Amino acid sequence: MAEITGIYTASHTPVMLNFPDRIPASLRMEVFDAYKTMGADFAAGKPQALIVLSNDHLHNFFLNNFPAFCIGCAESYESPAEHWLHAKRRTFEGDQKLGAYLLQQAYEADFDPSFSMEMVLDHGSLTPLELSGLDPNLPIVPVLINCVQPPMPTMRRSYQLGRYLGEALRAYDGIDRIAILATGGISHDIATPRMGMVNEEFDRRFIDLMESGDIDATLAYATDFVHTAGNGCEEIRMWLAALGAANGAKYERTYYRAINDWYTGIGIGRFAL
Amino acid sequence: MANWQELIPSTRAYLMDKVLYQLHHNDDHLEAYKVDADAYLARFNLPADLVRCIKGNDVAKMYLSGVNPYLLRAHCIGMKIPEDVSLAALRSLLTRKEYNNG
Repeated sequence: MAEITGIYTASHTPVMLNFPDRIPASLRMEVFDAYKTMGADFAAGKPQALIVLSNDHLHNFFLNNFPAFCIGCAESYESPAEHWLHAKRRTFEGDQKLGAYLLQQAYEADFDPSFSMEMVLDHGSLTPLELSGLDPNLPIVPVLINCVQPPMPTMRRSYQLGRYLGEALRAYDGIDRIAILATGGISHDIATPRMGMVNEEFDRRFIDLMESGDIDATLAYATDFVHTAGNGCEEIRMWLAALGAANGAKYERTYYRAINDWYTGIGIGRFAL
Repeated sequence: MANWQELIPSTRAYLMDKVLYQLHHNDDHLEAYKVDADAYLARFNLPADLVRCIKGNDVAKMYLSGVNPYLLRAHCIGMKIPEDVSLAALRSLLTRKEYNNG
């Protein structure tokens, strides 16, 4: 039986790596320090593997065949997928056995994800891993949710995916300690007329609801108001999956700022497990 | 307000998505496009107006045509369209009736 040593939610944006100087140095350092703090907290739990809940930004998948959910079952993952991303190339070790286990357990739990034996991680996974300074040798299992092309899985279904994920991880006997990083959101628009107009009110209300522990209210708010907070905000599906995996553990924000010049509401938080 | 111009891609949008996807995911495609954009785009059987807006880096029209915004964003960065230029083009649509503002 494995212990989940940490569950974090954290925003990601390639702007952090490609255009870091669009915000003042002091603010940039504040954000980067928040990611480093997250990384140190993760490391303190000594996880032997990390589940990265993220989304593919149309790199591995195209509209000729786009899965709602996909679980990585590869031995390793190259990154980044984007030729234009200002990040060093790196290869993440994969936990193939854990990925295969999660895939099988998903079917047992009435989920039908696709799986991938060869996946190139994009900025969604790479940015928070890079900024948090997590050990690059920590084996990972990517679990991807479609947040970039409607129609998408519902917010509630994403939460339920997390419920299954948490239960499956706790029942796993292959290793002792596993952590989860859920990355995406919060309010931001990608290549729309609202790009750079972060809906801070949405973000703060969403985080408040996450902290309240009222799951139905959180899911209802996410469902009913995501359209006010940008296409990038659809990535809160990963936060809701983390909420499901946390199985009632209390959530607390560790950082939030609406950063219009990075086009994104940057939020980080963790569950008190 | 709405997050998406199209809730399921039209065939026109899909064709443009296909161009932008292939341009930035195949090693030699971006180079081929830069050498001869017309010849490259001819591979895709695009309507003439979409050929013009891609060739002209018309970010606003690409957006209105329903292209996936993530592909559009990657295209802007990959083609080194200045950040403030692409942003201004998108912002110019805020009051346009074609913009699906919900």
